[in-house]
Amino acid sequence: MNESQHVSSQFDEDLGRLRTHVLQMGGLVETQISAAIEAYTTGEIASVKTIVETDRKVNDLEKAIDDDCAHIIAKRQPTASDLRLVLGISKIVTDLERAGDEAKKIAKGVRRIYDNGHLPAQYGVGIRHLAEAALAMVRQALDAFARLDGALAVSVIRADADVDVEFKSIIRQLITHMMEDPRTITTSIDIISISRAIERIGDHAKNISEQVIFVVEGRDIRHNKEAIK
Amino acid sequence: MQRALLYGVFTALVSLLLGYSVEPWMGWVLFYTGLSVHLAMHYRNFSRLERWSRKPVLDASLEGDGEWDRVFRRLYRHEKELLEKIERREREIARLIAAVHAMNDGIVLLDAEFQIQFCNKTAERQLDLALATDRGAPIANIVRQPAFVDYLDRADFSRPLTLRLDRYFERVLSLYLISYAEGHWLLQVKDITQTDRLDSMRRDFVANVSHELRTPLTVLSGFVETLQEIEVDEDTRRHYLQLMGEQSQRMQSIVQDLLTLSSIESAPPPEDQLVDMDSLVDKLRRDAEALSAGRHHIVLDSEGQGDLVGAESELVSALANLVANAVRYTPAGGTITLIWRISPEGAEFAVQDTGIGIDAKHIPRLTERFYRVDRGRSRDAGGTGLGLAIVKHALSRHQATLEVSSEPGKGSRFAACFPASRVRCE
Repeated sequence: MNESQHVSSQFDEDLGRLRTHVLQMGGLVETQISAAIEAYTTGEIASVKTIVETDRKVNDLEKAIDDDCAHIIAKRQPTASDLRLVLGISKIVTDLERAGDEAKKIAKGVRRIYDNGHLPAQYGVGIRHLAEAALAMVRQALDAFARLDGALAVSVIRADADVDVEFKSIIRQLITHMMEDPRTITTSIDIISISRAIERIGDHAKNISEQVIFVVEGRDIRHNKEAIK
Repeated sequence: MQRALLYGVFTALVSLLLGYSVEPWMGWVLFYTGLSVHLAMHYRNFSRLERWSRKPVLDASLEGDGEWDRVFRRLYRHEKELLEKIERREREIARLIAAVHAMNDGIVLLDAEFQIQFCNKTAERQLDLALATDRGAPIANIVRQPAFVDYLDRADFSRPLTLRLDRYFERVLSLYLISYAEGHWLLQVKDITQTDRLDSMRRDFVANVSHELRTPLTVLSGFVETLQEIEVDEDTRRHYLQLMGEQSQRMQSIVQDLLTLSSIESAPPPEDQLVDMDSLVDKLRRDAEALSAGRHHIVLDSEGQGDLVGAESELVSALANLVANAVRYTPAGGTITLIWRISPEGAEFAVQDTGIGIDAKHIPRLTERFYRVDRGRSRDAGGTGLGLAIVKHALSRHQATLEVSSEPGKGSRFAACFPASRVRCE
């Protein structure tokens, strides 16, 4: 009796540590994204370097967490909600790592624009708004994971539709720009790739939220629009 | 106890007496009956006590007969005092918790593993915690900033951590981690957004002053060098000297404005003197005409009779700045209207122009020192970047406010609004 209790509390500790590592990785990705937004609005190219450096840490954490997941499954053979947690985590880290990559893409795009002597900020405030919405989604998705809050995860999934709509309107706006003045095409293409990256960050936040719902409720709602209605 | 003993002795004596005087068995019967009654009484009270002890609440069921009554009463009193003590303690704890919640600083109590045990409302707001859901969770799960996680990992808490949060709006927090009660941690969170902003404003100010003074100085010394090194003809020389004169004039006006600003800032509150507003407004109109030199249409629209109480020199520099700005930023041919309204309820001096106007996003920052909507243009127009800062300071010393409304391309309206306490109507 005593023995098994000891073992299971050790197991709980392992799971708790795993979750904290995931959230730590999430914190790094959050700062990457907000630094990318900062670089976009202020032109602080110095932060681009930190974003790239943070990316290395994120990658290391991803590998370490994946390793831990494999270990826990092999050693503890978790069942039910514990198993869902471990499976969910192994998918969440993939999405987090990719969101970090997108932040890196934004930073590099910003650097390209400034190197060509342009200011991205003059292309409207829409991008900044879009990026802030995507960042808020990532934050809420991680909050939902930290608190295992299914309702919050559902609201993140709903927010993704707004981000998509905003993304499309930015693209339309840029197309008009390019038609009016072909000299803006180079910069506009960079801006399009930046907004594309932002939109992808929103998608990753949505995927993370779907995994949170899977962990909390055991429902797999991927590719199922009805499930969150 | 004594009474129980007395009862026993008395029963024994009566039984003994009866046994000796009548029949021994009657004595025994009386003795046993007496003891049985006594025992029954004790048993009844004991079972009451036993019943009560199973669920010790304070009620009237706790009363007994004879000897027992005293015990029960004492128990009742003890219980009551205990309950009162508990209640008092609970009230104290609730008051303490309420005080912690009322604090301006955020307080989070953490255990040895940095798991959240308690946090006050301020901390919930500052760090986006929710005590209801986050109790027992590691704080790094919610406050995920890498800087904070590193701070916890490093385990050196001799210095506070400055944390920048950009959730919802930019905030700068200073975090102190204090060890208390063996292995527990108290996280104190101070919001230093304001101080941080003031610091950066001060830094900006110094940088701006140096920059604003250096630009004309560079031009000036450049010409001086040229004149020293190369021979130039008379016309060029005169042209250079004229440019140099303009630049030194510029520096002079910046220094003048800085002095005005610092004297307004540091001087004691203005002595209240009656300011003859009719002649002041008339003087402002004449100033505007002189400054405009016929390029603008100047209109004076005055209504009401009365004067203001305050420091005349400060009022003049505030209102004259508004007028000068309007002349400066209105293209030739535009109209500038000086509006003066005074009544016992308050007074307003407004300058309405048909100038270039100001974008709405600049309006809140106009009174910042050296804030410029359009760098090149305002310097060409001869502004120092300090005018509206002076206006704002001079007005606030008279409890007056500066109200700005503007539409790009259409024109702006700057109004100084004075409260009734500053107005003297005959």
